Amino acid sequence: MIFIHSIIHAKHLQFFTLSTMLSLLCFLLSLLFLLLLPCLRPCFSAKGSLKDKKKIDKGTYVVGEEEPPKGLRRELMPRHVAVIMDGNRRWAKQAGLLTSQGYEAGAKRLIEFAELCFKLGINTVSAFAFSTENWGRHKIEVKCLMYLFQRYLKSKIQFFQSKEIRVSVIGNLAKIPESLLGIITEIEDATKSYKKKHLILAIDYSGRFDILRACKSIVKKSEQGLIREEEVDETLLERELQTKCTEFPSPDLLIRTSGEQRISNFFLWQLAYTELFFSPVLWPDFDKDKLLDALDSYQRRERRFGCRV
Amino acid sequence: MDSNQSMRLLSSWIGQIGDLGLNLLWRFIHIVVSLWYIVSGISEAIESYAISLGLNKKYSSIDLEKLRCLAVVVDIEAVQDVAKVVELLQWLTTIGVKQVGLFDSQGLLKKSKDLILETVPGSMLLEEIGKDFSPDGKRIALEFISSSDNKEAVMKAANILLQRYLKSSHPENDQGENFFTESHLNEALGVVGENVHVPDLLLVYGPIRSHLGFPAWRLRYTEIVHMGTLKYMRYGSLLKAIHKFTGVHQNYGT
Repeated sequence: MIFIHSIIHAKHLQFFTLSTMLSLLCFLLSLLFLLLLPCLRPCFSAKGSLKDKKKIDKGTYVVGEEEPPKGLRRELMPRHVAVIMDGNRRWAKQAGLLTSQGYEAGAKRLIEFAELCFKLGINTVSAFAFSTENWGRHKIEVKCLMYLFQRYLKSKIQFFQSKEIRVSVIGNLAKIPESLLGIITEIEDATKSYKKKHLILAIDYSGRFDILRACKSIVKKSEQGLIREEEVDETLLERELQTKCTEFPSPDLLIRTSGEQRISNFFLWQLAYTELFFSPVLWPDFDKDKLLDALDSYQRRERRFGCRV
Repeated sequence: MDSNQSMRLLSSWIGQIGDLGLNLLWRFIHIVVSLWYIVSGISEAIESYAISLGLNKKYSSIDLEKLRCLAVVVDIEAVQDVAKVVELLQWLTTIGVKQVGLFDSQGLLKKSKDLILETVPGSMLLEEIGKDFSPDGKRIALEFISSSDNKEAVMKAANILLQRYLKSSHPENDQGENFFTESHLNEALGVVGENVHVPDLLLVYGPIRSHLGFPAWRLRYTEIVHMGTLKYMRYGSLLKAIHKFTGVHQNYGT
């Protein structure tokens, strides 16, 4: 009897071990299946896509534009992206470089950033290059910055023309050197005919000053009889702000790098319903992947512009 | 021809297997990253509860000298639940915040002003307080703000300045340099009822990271922190955000 029991027990044990292994195998196969299923779909549709390619309407493909990476949808791309390029000095310090080299790296990054934005179908890119408060920095540093703007803008005129990028510079501009003013006028004139891609550089810009300047502009027009007092409203003031140079004055997305979480007097009026993306990365390190993260974050948000949906 | 065809077929199979392998790897990385987010979310929640229970000594006493004025932006969907807003204000009173500006774009909180003032112990309207008054103990001064205090207020203030300018005797070439300064606009905003209390910290409760039309004129150097939805707000997260603010150093552009 004991022998029979032990045989039965052994058989049970064997059965139990076998069933456990089978369950484990089933679990692993299901997990593998779940992993494979999304992978297999493109493979099955791959054969079809070869035929479909011939049917693609060539009119929808725009030369020079990049297909948005997976996960991003072209129709949800922001029309206007603003950026506060913070962290150049810290980047230079961390890399053991001079501050001026940090600014150079930042300028280079801006060109790459803008180019990528335009390729992804974003119409307007605006960058906070120099604020009114920045005049409080060391004189030599400010001089270096002004020289960098001048040199970079001058060297990139042909580039902007070849890429058909319109460049506008906004800001007070009263204190900037004459030579830089000359380059700004030159580059604005050389690129003013381009419509699809617009790069706005804010130099000596203050959001509060922008609002006050708009008020003064309204005063001037009122004195000239162009507008009546009762016509002064939000729309009119908005048209007098320095962002009137673009079709999309209010940014859809603002990116600020280096971990600071404030707008620092940039586009105060214009940022009412802008998605704010604060990245801890320093500006010279804000590469394509970081931009895609920001765009991904933007596309996931449900913007209601203050209204109930 | 046959060998060419079979070579092509073989290379296509190899290509497909390669693609499959890469996709598999990509999905695996996705799972790892998702698990990472889940784990960090859980640890954040645990940390928040630990802070709420006073287990983390770092947050037990916060120096609020830097935080003279705090503003809270609430999404309009969340505003319907006034109880949550009241709870938040009670937390802020406990922490020791003295002045809070409550903003929602549609002005629904303004309509619930009386209810909130009644329910939050020690609360009073900021506009009823004199300039020299400083709330002591567990008292908190509240300001209710909406979108009408943003662009509309600036427009009204600009109109006031315009009328003053046109009525004044000024030289022909004068472009209003002495009439349109920041201090003049501040004063005009006060006349239209927009008391320009500049917040040091702005907490945004809502699904999107936007200040939803908070008065732009006030936001020059305000630190903005997105806190997630009001429904899932946590005391620990609030304390952490305020504590983090007290450690922030601003250059103000210089």
